Amino acid sequence: MNLASLLSRDRINLEMKSTKKEEVLKDLVYMIKSKTDAELIYSTLLKREELGSTGIGKGIAIPHCRSLAVSKLEIAIGRTIKPINFNAIDKKPVSLFFLIIAPPQDPGNQYLITLGKIVQISRELTKNNLINKPQTPDEFISLINEIEKKIAKKR
Amino acid sequence: MGKEIDIMRILKRLFDLDNLIADKEADKKIGFKIDEEVGLLSLKKERASLLKEIPKEYADSYERIKKRYALAIAEVKNGFCFGCFQQLPTEMLVRSNEIVTCPNCGRILFWREE
Repeated sequence: MNLASLLSRDRINLEMKSTKKEEVLKDLVYMIKSKTDAELIYSTLLKREELGSTGIGKGIAIPHCRSLAVSKLEIAIGRTIKPINFNAIDKKPVSLFFLIIAPPQDPGNQYLITLGKIVQISRELTKNNLINKPQTPDEFISLINEIEKKIAKKR
Repeated sequence: MGKEIDIMRILKRLFDLDNLIADKEADKKIGFKIDEEVGLLSLKKERASLLKEIPKEYADSYERIKKRYALAIAEVKNGFCFGCFQQLPTEMLVRSNEIVTCPNCGRILFWREE
């Protein structure tokens, strides 16, 4: 599974103006769905955050859930202009967000595989201080592609 | 609360919540922190309050199906129930605005608005 191939440039916003956790989640969901479906996903994401913040530390969060509102795995990526408080595990503000929404019935458990992969990629992004490097969605996708190739070589 | 469309909306939220609870072990394995005390309690409270928002017959029905299948709500696609993958009788395909169950597996059926 190649993450870069699941990304599309119209679902990558590297200049988000959101300043609060709730705003970021809502803005990300609206990149994928509108109106009723977005509200259903948003309420589930808020509940997921109550179970424990998806802020994995070092400026990255991976909000995620399964929802009837989608029929296939959907991903949106956002980077806020200013890092925001997301109750991350290391208590540090977050600026890069990977939103993953999967349908309840998910062939091959692509959802968990994708989540695991994004966690792995996030480690590389923070280790090499690359969060703020890409300036356009295309650059972001190329960077993810490069990181995936690097990870594959290590195996 | 009586309109089936509103009841279905609540059932969907309930279903998403149940999937969250079911996925928490997998989340832990990946490395996400799960608050078993406060977080899980809050989810269970929300679950109980959603069940109270719908008529008892639907709440009981959902709970009964949930005991039998992990996924209590199944999508209808191309005339098939995507819970048991059996073709639905033609007369059922016009009932997308009602809360109906699959005659084969008993799951609550859900039609996606495209």
